[in-house]
Amino acid sequence: MWKVYKYTLIDLARNKFVGGWLLLLLAISFGLFQLEDQPLKAMLSLTQVLLALVPLVASIFSIVYLYDAMEFTELLAVQPLHRSKILGGQMLALGTALVLGTWIGAGIPLMIFQAGSAAFTLVLACTMLTLVFTAMGALIAFKNREKARGVGLGLVVWFLFVLVYDAILLWIMYAFSDYPIEPWIVPLAALDPIDLGRIMVMLKVDLAAMMGYTGAVYEKFFGSMAGTFLALGALVAWVAVPSAWAFKAFQRKDF
Amino acid sequence: MARVIFEKTGKRYGKLWALRDLSARFEPGETVSVIGPNGSGKTTLIKCMLGLVHATTGTIRVNGQVVGNDPAYRHQMGHMPQISRFPNELKIGQLIDLMDDIRGNDMQRSEGPLIRELGVDRMLDKRLGTLSGGQRQKVSAVLAFRYAPTVLVLDEPTAGLDPLSSEILLSAVREIKRTGCTVLITSHLMEEVEAMADRIAYLQDGGLQFLLSPEEILEATGQTRLSRAIPAMLANNVKRHVESL
Amino acid sequence: MTGLRPWCRAAAIISLLGATGPLGARTWTVEPGGRTSGITAAIGAAQAGDTVRVLAGTYAEGIITIDKPLVLIGVGRPLIDGAEKGDVIIIEAPNVVVQGFRITGTLVSNINDNAAIKVKKSDHVQLIDNIVERAFFGIHVASSRNTVIARNVVSGDPAVPETRRANAIHLWHCSGAEITDNLSQDHRDGIYFEFVTESHIRRNRSLRNLRYGLHFMFSNNDTYSDNFFKDNGAGVAVMYSKFVDMRRNRFTSNRGASAYGLLLKEINDVVIDSNQFVDNTTAILVDGCNRAKINDNVFRGNGWAVRLFANSMDCHFSGNTFVGNTFDMSTNGNPVYNSFSGNYWDRYKGYDLDRDGIGDVPFRPLSLFAMVNERMPYAVVLSRSLLTGLMDQAERLVPSMTPEGLEDDKPLMKQPHGTRHL
Repeated sequence: MWKVYKYTLIDLARNKFVGGWLLLLLAISFGLFQLEDQPLKAMLSLTQVLLALVPLVASIFSIVYLYDAMEFTELLAVQPLHRSKILGGQMLALGTALVLGTWIGAGIPLMIFQAGSAAFTLVLACTMLTLVFTAMGALIAFKNREKARGVGLGLVVWFLFVLVYDAILLWIMYAFSDYPIEPWIVPLAALDPIDLGRIMVMLKVDLAAMMGYTGAVYEKFFGSMAGTFLALGALVAWVAVPSAWAFKAFQRKDF
Repeated sequence: MARVIFEKTGKRYGKLWALRDLSARFEPGETVSVIGPNGSGKTTLIKCMLGLVHATTGTIRVNGQVVGNDPAYRHQMGHMPQISRFPNELKIGQLIDLMDDIRGNDMQRSEGPLIRELGVDRMLDKRLGTLSGGQRQKVSAVLAFRYAPTVLVLDEPTAGLDPLSSEILLSAVREIKRTGCTVLITSHLMEEVEAMADRIAYLQDGGLQFLLSPEEILEATGQTRLSRAIPAMLANNVKRHVESL
Repeated sequence: MTGLRPWCRAAAIISLLGATGPLGARTWTVEPGGRTSGITAAIGAAQAGDTVRVLAGTYAEGIITIDKPLVLIGVGRPLIDGAEKGDVIIIEAPNVVVQGFRITGTLVSNINDNAAIKVKKSDHVQLIDNIVERAFFGIHVASSRNTVIARNVVSGDPAVPETRRANAIHLWHCSGAEITDNLSQDHRDGIYFEFVTESHIRRNRSLRNLRYGLHFMFSNNDTYSDNFFKDNGAGVAVMYSKFVDMRRNRFTSNRGASAYGLLLKEINDVVIDSNQFVDNTTAILVDGCNRAKINDNVFRGNGWAVRLFANSMDCHFSGNTFVGNTFDMSTNGNPVYNSFSGNYWDRYKGYDLDRDGIGDVPFRPLSLFAMVNERMPYAVVLSRSLLTGLMDQAERLVPSMTPEGLEDDKPLMKQPHGTRHL
């Protein structure tokens, strides 16, 4: 596995898109921190940008890369290697490259201009979202033969999680506002990994407001570190489930 | 014992059987040309053997090992696909290093002169993304022969290669055959088949129509050239020809 | 027994150190020793205007009553333990000074407001540099004028429930009080004012009190400035008062379902200037206020920076800075009789073509999502999402649901310089 990992990483390190993503992140981060009067404001703007862009880039790039590498993957698959090790190496390499891109592109500016637990949490959330959407990208790539279909599906999934699901959630809140649905809101939000990442950051930035509505329901959850760890745990599950599914799909795949 | 054994192997995609109920044995040191029209199942047959495609029914054995989840049998195999694409940003040398890495002990068996003969050794610093189709085929050929396989699978190996390189490749096939390697070649070129094949496997609609030596085919049809004999085999009732032998 | 016998036999030795005061005032010194009260006896022996020095040690004498103008000074921080008899020190005379003590042992009672130091109808009392520990009420002043309460530390017991806690510094029907440099923590209210006028609260710290850091009712013409309120259950409440001046205070981390940095209810003619509100669930709740000038404050990282109820009038917000709040504003109706002008809003996305530092298009501080959230509080989990961002953006381009006229006509492009230190 580590051999596949190593060589995929070498390939990714020279990939123009990975470099471009890193530069784009650097440009956005430094741009926001230089343009904005207030570093806190810059960080909040950056949060919104990252929570939308990171999943998009992670999933679409993973899908495109895995499709483009399919013949090479085939070459690996005829070697005396277990398929799980091939995919493991590739996914780890993709995750490493994209996560490093996020750390350097957004993490470093954040640590320079607005170091603190909120910035750290944002980087952590972006890291987890990168892994979640890399896994989902792999799943899509191995479940669909056609690249165009895969990329389209990746966009649909991203759009679902970044916008549509929240709209549905808001509709549910509205439709069931006469019922005691408060305890269900956060578990429902956990079904969307982007919401989980956002809630992790909110637990640092907007805790005051969160404590306002939740009153007794979530006071313990939000008031301690438990909330952050639970959200992190849910995100780990969001990495694990699509990954496991992608491995299964890859095992069964006919080239 | 036969090198490769297909037992009632079938592969179904949806409703379509790309390979059906195929049984065959390939012996050490023989070269088998797998021919047939487009979509007849040639590539599926090869891919089932390589573990790239999971057979729906039956079993395949390579050197006695059942093709399945254990990838160990592939230490004995070399493969050259129809079209090769590699990671663009890797250099040829790095790719070969990676393969050597993966193959581990296989390295000790043989490196072969092919890398020199095809001139790949002079391109080790080239990025794979900058290679032409023919150059990629050469790299692919080098990798297929590099670990002294006992089963070599070549899918349209000379397509895209210049005549000189094709000749080098074919003579490498003859060479490796002498070591006892079983070679499966798919090809559209009848001269190539005629020149190389010890036996010919003809596939149609996923079924094996016949698996005979050129001499047997010529004899059965009364033709002198394979390019005529094979259509003649198909025009008549193949089964009857085979049974008459 | 003569009146002096217990004094002579006192385990605590009281010595008279000569009459040296300018008006013939004398100084008495009390030392610890045995069973009988020393301080009480000294007070009994002393004349008005005398000084009683109490040397380091523990004094458990039940309730100590000071009924004449005396200066009671602890040397080396002696401990007075009331042993849960009721109050610990009761002051019933003007011009008393109590300084330098450690006091504990009040009786918790739902009938009497037992306090570590209780001042009754006594003017010009000074309570300075005392440490009050685990008291029911800490310092309780009633019907007194010109009280000075300075540099005291009043600490409750964080382990006891609210029913067994009372206020750290409690004033009732007072005027001219100066509350300065005190620390009140872990009580019910940090500082409590009811019917207190012409008084000043300065540089105090009020931390972790269960209810309010400062609770202020029916108290007019007062100022409080440079105070620090943090982690109080419900923040600071100022109610039913007028002519109140609040400057340079810090309201921090007052979080919870009904917690406020500053709760203003039925307040008239108030100035709220240069205060800092950080990390409160609601920084300011303005409920039924008239004529408030809310200028040059900084609101940073609060849940709701301003909740302005529609029953308020003539509240003017100017020169304030709003950064990193989950919601800059919310309301329960249409508070159009109030105004925002010349504030800095981090959500402002306008431009400044003439480069005068003022945005060329107005800013609407009340976002659509804030209105949605007003109806469905749990929608807060969607804040900072793409969805709510788009909702707010659409509403800004084509306002349809947020009240018309509720806007900052001169939004600043940068935080005002004078408030950068806040």
